[in-house]
Amino acid sequence: MILTAAETALVVLIGGLVALDGTSVGQLMVSRPFVAAALGGLAVGRPAQGIVAGVVLEALHLAVLPVGAAKYPEGGPPAVAAGAVYASNFPPVAAAATLLVAVLVALALEQVGGRSVALLRQWNVRFAGAPGAGLTPGQVAGRQLAPMAVDFARGALLTLLGVLVLGWLLRAADFSGFPEIAVGTILRLSVVAGVASALRLFGRAHYPLFLVGAAAGAGVAWLI
Amino acid sequence: MLLRSFAVQGSWNYQTLIGTGLAFVLAPALKEVYAGDAEALRRALGRHTELFNSHPYLASVAAGAVARLEADGVPAETVARFKAAVRGSLGTLGDRLVWLMWRPMSVLLGLALVLAGAAWWVGALAFLLVFNALHLWMRAWGLRIGLRDGLQIGRTLKGVPFAQLGDRAAQAGALLAGFAAAVAGSGHAGVPGLQLPGGMHPVEWGLALLAALLGIALGPRIRGAAALAMGLALVAGLVLART
Repeated sequence: MILTAAETALVVLIGGLVALDGTSVGQLMVSRPFVAAALGGLAVGRPAQGIVAGVVLEALHLAVLPVGAAKYPEGGPPAVAAGAVYASNFPPVAAAATLLVAVLVALALEQVGGRSVALLRQWNVRFAGAPGAGLTPGQVAGRQLAPMAVDFARGALLTLLGVLVLGWLLRAADFSGFPEIAVGTILRLSVVAGVASALRLFGRAHYPLFLVGAAAGAGVAWLI
Repeated sequence: MLLRSFAVQGSWNYQTLIGTGLAFVLAPALKEVYAGDAEALRRALGRHTELFNSHPYLASVAAGAVARLEADGVPAETVARFKAAVRGSLGTLGDRLVWLMWRPMSVLLGLALVLAGAAWWVGALAFLLVFNALHLWMRAWGLRIGLRDGLQIGRTLKGVPFAQLGDRAAQAGALLAGFAAAVAGSGHAGVPGLQLPGGMHPVEWGLALLAALLGIALGPRIRGAAALAMGLALVAGLVLART
């Protein structure tokens, strides 16, 4: 494992809180992969490195919509784990390859997270299903708080799984001689495609504005 | 009630959706309305745990309005009909404005800043501030107008320019998406893992353009395509490194 025990505990705690923010409490959007990965990096003292994994994950999460009872991948806890492990491994021998592994593991965990959210919602029926008779305020609070505690534990476990799997993979992998530039290109193109996929949400009428933005972005890129 | 509204989705389930959450938000108001009548309070809380759904940020509108109806002594059947009538529109309004327009636009603002070289915290803070400005306003304003207008809440909601706000957010979002895609594709992004030493070859620009077109065409399905490409790149890289 790349993280120390104290760092792992902090990252797991952040993962649990971020899972709560995703649906159960707040929805202040600290659970977005972009922010969650920076928080993971912050837990190991390198938020600027953590957000690198977050940028790729966020681009690929932009067009995901949490509407109604839809089943969707969960971005927060996997991003915390990816951001923390990638940042703790910095500077890596092979930056692009390490980032690629972190992103791939996080994407797989997002699917696991999404499934676990669906299972939790089925399980919540026992806690929060409509009662035949009335309820006291204390009973209502209990029905509301118990699923939130389980959601926290679920997010913490998912984050721990990510830290362990990713830590083990990066320790076991040998990236010497890895074609870094080619892999970097794949990552860059994934971000471009992910960011562009958000355009579907805004509608065809706004496609010309995308081109205006792209021209401005190309100008800024030329300047920096 | 406002603080409790932040946890309205805490017990989200496939049977009553956020029904229990609504009862949890309403509990302080119902305790006042039914002070001294424990049995009536129990019955009221039980009624309000039944099926309900709404966008989480606009659930405070329903909670405020229901609290007002309960305080006015409106019959339980009328309150139930009111809840059934508003749940669809509160969901659709919020989903369209927040999930479809405002959130992607806010995220793209943060991403664009980081990709253009801003410090990590500038991008993250810009996103959180812009997004939550609308979010927190919706919760507080919703509760206030719900409590004030009760059954007339539909008329009040019709007067709020949600559609125009969503359209402005979509315009800004499309601009920011183009900006972020170009900076990321240029190889000059302010993110170390996405930089291309030595600048871009015309072929790289062509690939970036193709990637953008693919992203637009696939929408959310781009996740699977990107994961597949990254997985293949990893395997190919490992094979190449050993030969």
